[in-house]
Amino acid sequence: MDFPIFHIDFIGNRLLIAVDAILHVLINHAFAVGALPVVALLEFLGMRSQDPRWDNLAYRLLKIIFILTTTVGALTGVGIWFSAALVNPAAIGSLIRVFFWGWFVEWLVFVCEVSLIMAYFLSWQTANRSPETKLKHLRLGIFLAVFSWITMAIIVAILGFMMDPGNWLTERTLLSGLFNPMYFPQLALRTTLAMVMGGITMICLSYWHTRDDRGFRATVTEVLSKWSGIWMLGLIVASVWYYRVIPELMLANIPVAFATQEYAGWNGRLKVLLIVGLMYVSRILWVSVKRPGQVHGAKYLVSALLLFAMLGQFERVREFIRKPFIIGNYMYANGIRVEDYPLLQRDGILQHATYASIREVTADNQPAAGREVFEQACTRCHTVNGVNSIRGQLKNMYGDKPWQSEAIAAYIENMHGARYFMPPFPGNKAELNALSVYLASLQKRAAPFNGAQINGIPKPDHISTAISYGILPNLGIHHGEQR
Amino acid sequence: MTAPIPRDIPLPLPAPEGFLEILLIASFLLHIIFVHLMVGGSLFSLACQIKGLKAPDYEKLAYRIMQTVTVNKSLAVVMGVAPLLIINTLYAPQFYASSALIGDMWMAIIPMVTLAFLLAYLHKFWWHHFINLPELHIGIAALETGLFLFIPLIFMTNVNLMLFPEYWPEVKGFLSAMLLPNVLQRYLHFLSASVLFTALFFVGWTGRKRFQEEAGFNELKIITVRRFFYAYAFGAAIFQILTGLMALASLPTQGMGWNFILILTFGGALALPALWWMWRNLTQPSHLLDDDFKRIIACFACAAIFMGIARHEYRENALADHKTAISEKTANYQAAVKEAGEQARQTAKKPEGIVSAPGESAFNKNCAACHHATLPTVGPALQEIKTLYADNPSGIVVWTKAPGKKRADSMTMPGFPQLSDEELTAISQYILKH
Repeated sequence: MDFPIFHIDFIGNRLLIAVDAILHVLINHAFAVGALPVVALLEFLGMRSQDPRWDNLAYRLLKIIFILTTTVGALTGVGIWFSAALVNPAAIGSLIRVFFWGWFVEWLVFVCEVSLIMAYFLSWQTANRSPETKLKHLRLGIFLAVFSWITMAIIVAILGFMMDPGNWLTERTLLSGLFNPMYFPQLALRTTLAMVMGGITMICLSYWHTRDDRGFRATVTEVLSKWSGIWMLGLIVASVWYYRVIPELMLANIPVAFATQEYAGWNGRLKVLLIVGLMYVSRILWVSVKRPGQVHGAKYLVSALLLFAMLGQFERVREFIRKPFIIGNYMYANGIRVEDYPLLQRDGILQHATYASIREVTADNQPAAGREVFEQACTRCHTVNGVNSIRGQLKNMYGDKPWQSEAIAAYIENMHGARYFMPPFPGNKAELNALSVYLASLQKRAAPFNGAQINGIPKPDHISTAISYGILPNLGIHHGEQR
Repeated sequence: MTAPIPRDIPLPLPAPEGFLEILLIASFLLHIIFVHLMVGGSLFSLACQIKGLKAPDYEKLAYRIMQTVTVNKSLAVVMGVAPLLIINTLYAPQFYASSALIGDMWMAIIPMVTLAFLLAYLHKFWWHHFINLPELHIGIAALETGLFLFIPLIFMTNVNLMLFPEYWPEVKGFLSAMLLPNVLQRYLHFLSASVLFTALFFVGWTGRKRFQEEAGFNELKIITVRRFFYAYAFGAAIFQILTGLMALASLPTQGMGWNFILILTFGGALALPALWWMWRNLTQPSHLLDDDFKRIIACFACAAIFMGIARHEYRENALADHKTAISEKTANYQAAVKEAGEQARQTAKKPEGIVSAPGESAFNKNCAACHHATLPTVGPALQEIKTLYADNPSGIVVWTKAPGKKRADSMTMPGFPQLSDEELTAISQYILKH
């Protein structure tokens, strides 16, 4: 990591991104991609039946969608960039270099989407002037739904790439990255899941909005249950496809990915829970088509929450099974490229870290140097005292027995073998020992651990201001021909 | 003061640098216009609401203004994505560093903007619910406007900090970065631009034929409203020139250059004829507010474009040496990586004569982390395992296939589904022979 280390020791860097990203994906799937087609469908039904209740309901749903997506939805999307750039700039910086044009197109689609949702929502009342204007208005809604899906389709390519870069490692082109083997199965899964989530979320909201009109409520829930049910069939097919395509190596990681280590044994039960969840939702949809208006609203709410939980779990697993990498086979989760390892393991990570204050491990600076190594190599995922804390990990391993630095060093040296999700230790032997001394010292006493946003960066020394490395000659690039 | 020289992301830029720079300037201008309309609109709506306590028609005007704020705020965010993307691409070593140095405040932008937007909707959609609670009604508007005023200051602090790597070692958190020379001056310059552009926008917006019917004023004349905005536009333009000169005078010398001064002067000069026309329209009865309106807009728009280019020139000047040093360091680092990689491959090949015991490499890869030869670490030491399973080598295989928790004071051993029976047997033999 050649950037000042931003670190929040309480909630941890991982959770910072996770909270933002999960919120974003829930709103995106349930209130945009999956919900906008429902609004257009309701508007269409209103036009066909000439019953103003459909149109009123569609408008009320759209108002909620509009408020949520243009505030929390949009900002958490930008927030993923903000937080990723703070937590792992090396990774997001690399992804941006590769996917720049993908993201640029995403931006153009995004501008269209925002303009369309404003046009669709703000012109709703005036569109009722004549059948012609209403038809044009409905077209806006359909366009909006399509654009909202396209934004998701583009971003899924990037997510798929992070898990398995496919041919990119050898070809290094945008297209080879975009159409990696994970792309279509993931897109299919997300599309169908979003549609079911959107359908059921809209059933919940309609249920509330039709509380004074039981008859209409039954009709609406029946129509929307049919709509969601069709997508549910697609979802089942897509899940099977997705599961079959995940590379074998990643599949081997799933038992640990579903829950943290100690819950690995729960995996079986968790899987059952997922299947039961899908069956529950399917059953509720089935019953509400068979006996419209007789399913209690709380059951739809439970269905929506179950789907939300499943999506959250799916994202967690997705994030976890790419480990130990942040970009498959190219960069580890600690922000260090696979290619960098021989150099760092030979010279030491501190020798090549621009923003470190200690360069050499000596007999009397071990704890301080170890802290620096921890900062460079571990803090992207671990905290000292907060979420996923290193103190907690060590306590799990050694309990109240005295923590011995030799034992810790022996563990870290080989840890990536037994714990697939951990990257190999990136530094040299002296740094490994220093890190272990620091970690062992945490049993009794842990000084507060702050990031660059509080501590700032150290005064630049001969390494951070140097341009060349050791005995290697300066390649002397002339101004204007860099990069 | 010396600047730290980090390495760049070692991947090629997605397009020629110059092309990305043009894209950056253009998309940033697009973004900043909507930011101006959002901040200025929010300010004007609040001001009119307060004025509306005495003259109720102004409250109606405040409501109309609020309708534009909620649209412009969405465009401001969405237009901001492109410049953010390009800054991330072109200035990765600088921008990520400055963002991290003010990280907590930088991250706080997200919840603060979300809150401001939600308040804006609350304000607009529930306008008539709050009409009889002026304290609450104005309080919401004030909170929203306060957030809209503070958030640009964070952006300003960051884009200023990224320009001066030599200041980075001095900075400890957001406040110290905000107090670096030039941030507050530039911020004032930004604020007056917001008032100027929004006031001009409202002069045009209130001049539409439909506005009369939309607003539904009882007494207030449209011309009064338009003169109100026009006067603010004129005042803000004067203020804009003054704060601009202040910002220029306090600019650190790092990015100064004749190219920058020239473009800046040219842009500034474009505002002068517009000022003259505005003054004439305001003071001389023979002139109307709409006289030369398009020309005035064109002058200010061109001035903004020139300022955008000048701003970029200053950034390029300030970072020129740093960027060169970074590319050299990155290239040298890549060479060092390559050399170390070669060396590691050579060493890996060398040990020819040594034949490792079967199971040894599999043991080292999968088991050594927790099972040390002599020390009881995470799991029991090899010596202990040897005594336990001395007569029962297959016991190790059986246990490893379905491990559980044996000792109260250590953790559960994970399963190893990826290892075959042969590998497990080899490992068990290796352990017992150890």
